[in-house]
Amino acid sequence: MVLDRKIAFIDLRDGSIEITPLSLDLREKFLGGRGINMYLLSRYYSSSMDPFSPENPLIFGAGLLTGTLGFGSRINITAKSPESGHLGDSSMGGEFGAELVKAGLSHLVITGKSKNPVYLLIRNGEIEIRDAQKLIGLDTVETQKRIRIELGDEEVRVACIGVAGENLVRYAAIRSGMKNAAGRTGMGAVMGSKNLKAVAARGNLDIRISEPEKYLRYYLNTLKKLMETKWAQALGKLGTPLLFKYANAMGILSVRNNQLTTVGDQGRHLAAEALEPYSTGMLSCFACPAHCRHRFSIEEGRYKGTKGEGPEYASIGSFGTKLGNLDLENIIYVVELCNHYGLDTISTGSYIAWAMELYQRGIIDQDRTGLPLVWGDGESVIEFIHLIANRKGFGDILAKGPFAKKDFGESSHDYLLEVKNFPIEMTDERLPKSFALGMATSTRGACHMRSRPSLDILGLPEEVLKRIYGGSVSNNFSSYKGKGRMVWWHELLNAVSDALGVCRFLTVFSSPHTLQYRQFSRLIFLSAGLNLGAKDLKTIGERIYTLERMMLIKDGFSRQEDTLPKRYFSEPVPEGPARGEVILREEFDNMLDEYYRLHGWDQNGVPKRTTLKRLEIDK
Amino acid sequence: MRIKVDKKKCSGCHLCEMVCSLFHLGVINTEKSAIRIQKDDLDSSQNIPILCNQCKEMKCLNGEAVREGLEKKRFIWDRKRAERCPFDALTVFGENAYHCDLCGGTPQCVKVCTPKALRISNGRRDNHGMVYF
Repeated sequence: MVLDRKIAFIDLRDGSIEITPLSLDLREKFLGGRGINMYLLSRYYSSSMDPFSPENPLIFGAGLLTGTLGFGSRINITAKSPESGHLGDSSMGGEFGAELVKAGLSHLVITGKSKNPVYLLIRNGEIEIRDAQKLIGLDTVETQKRIRIELGDEEVRVACIGVAGENLVRYAAIRSGMKNAAGRTGMGAVMGSKNLKAVAARGNLDIRISEPEKYLRYYLNTLKKLMETKWAQALGKLGTPLLFKYANAMGILSVRNNQLTTVGDQGRHLAAEALEPYSTGMLSCFACPAHCRHRFSIEEGRYKGTKGEGPEYASIGSFGTKLGNLDLENIIYVVELCNHYGLDTISTGSYIAWAMELYQRGIIDQDRTGLPLVWGDGESVIEFIHLIANRKGFGDILAKGPFAKKDFGESSHDYLLEVKNFPIEMTDERLPKSFALGMATSTRGACHMRSRPSLDILGLPEEVLKRIYGGSVSNNFSSYKGKGRMVWWHELLNAVSDALGVCRFLTVFSSPHTLQYRQFSRLIFLSAGLNLGAKDLKTIGERIYTLERMMLIKDGFSRQEDTLPKRYFSEPVPEGPARGEVILREEFDNMLDEYYRLHGWDQNGVPKRTTLKRLEIDK
Repeated sequence: MRIKVDKKKCSGCHLCEMVCSLFHLGVINTEKSAIRIQKDDLDSSQNIPILCNQCKEMKCLNGEAVREGLEKKRFIWDRKRAERCPFDALTVFGENAYHCDLCGGTPQCVKVCTPKALRISNGRRDNHGMVYF
């Protein structure tokens, strides 16, 4: 059964392994994936715990519907973040999550530090700790290949770290396949700190389904409706790069570290259509009908021979406009380089953008950096990525992420655009106010995946918005009205979809006709036999989000940390379609008030006792 | 009737394998499916769907005193038949082989194949399993 999947507690200090069932109560309260991960992390979390200490639990959690016909099969990887120093969590697609559940497990809690490099092998309910000495120094793709060769099994799926994770670069990713990554918040560095090079999974256990016939029938109907949406069709043809054109046209891109927000006509060099000459087909994650990722190959020129999957919109923005770089082939190469080293592309681009602005302003110079750090110089970016991953020269400073503030001094601080010590991504949120609030309130620091109500920019009729959100919401994306409600609503939905392992792109995100609670409820009932209605699921979303919030409260966070980079409040967008847009403090505060009220948190952003009690997370 | 494969279009999502096992066995197990996706996900990312060609001359049944018409409608076969298949097109799991029975006329895998790598074909077959239109 879907509910039979177990949890394993693995202590790398002494090699002890305990595999136990997950209680029905925990499933009903947190579902799986990010939900159960947060329950587990909250048991260990303290403000004083060093993310690199053996006590920091590295938690793998496949979604409740991962491995089934669940519209994606994602896994969340969670720990205290060495990048921000606070809550760390990242979702990964591909096949690893499904393989873990095929092997009979959905969650792993890995603590301790191994004396020697090791990897875990999970096969049909059994776990073995194996020597990984020979894998040290290998990149993330080669590591996976070697493990398959060692085991003589091509079907093994591996999540691993590369050189960046081994070297404790604070924003190292955990990778699987050609491009899947649990990228943000440095989970790869936590893995490296435990001397854990990889987790390999292989399984072929039956996933028994509660009501197979009805389930298949319901799935086929839901699939048909989903694939009829323009959104799913466009995604399957162009992939996430389709978003670039809109972001550029609206003026919500990060350009030169958010000094600008559009590149105007020059955007054609990075738009989805520009990728077509390199694309050789579209690929899917496990159990996903949308097939939104490109398979690419560069056949000639300086980067000839580069092949892989992607790149996604977030990476194109982070190594493209954010660095003033319009050379798509360079961007593709750089993303691939990061994937092989096991570096998060968004954070890597963000820290380089920070350094470039410091260089532009003379706060650092070539004596410090060793190489010029000039906007648009993609070749230097390649060199800096080598230096970061190998922690050499100036790269050793950038490898510290936001903690490099100490090295660069006080005058550098405002140019690292961050929230809760975690950098802003490939976009600029001064124009769409719901996006801005979502950045400020995200529980893992500046992150668009915690809420990003992309529906806001569609200009849907307000009566439609009212039906979706249960209250009045303006359909003007530069308006603040109702946006607290919008962000709150998406935070809950996204928490639930992460707990289920359903891909964000197939839920209500950029189209109102995609999946949400009603469909989730039916899929859960027919596959797992759990009877949870739409309201119950929304409550689970609240429970997960408020529990995450409580960990931030432990770190001393409250209303004043739910904010945005200074630039957003003090510098109106200088030119382009978003010209003049800035965040007004008073209006921003009004959004926060509405947002806190809906979450059941007090004026200071602290969850009320009554809320904790209602959500049964008061003990 | 057979299922025609355009491997260039296969996205490697495994949905075909999942619905095959679900439809026939009531469980999801990608290895107990008459269709399987051979996936080279660490190099070229090429995916190749493999399943029964519905050959006119069923070499898989050589030496067996069985009625072809009846066997064609069966999903679970003995693994020995897979060993006789000249195209290595049957999935083997344990002692069983899984054979495409075309779901009795409405193949489920085709329904979930959103990139349209799988299509129903009514073309004629020759003795080598080749199809002509």
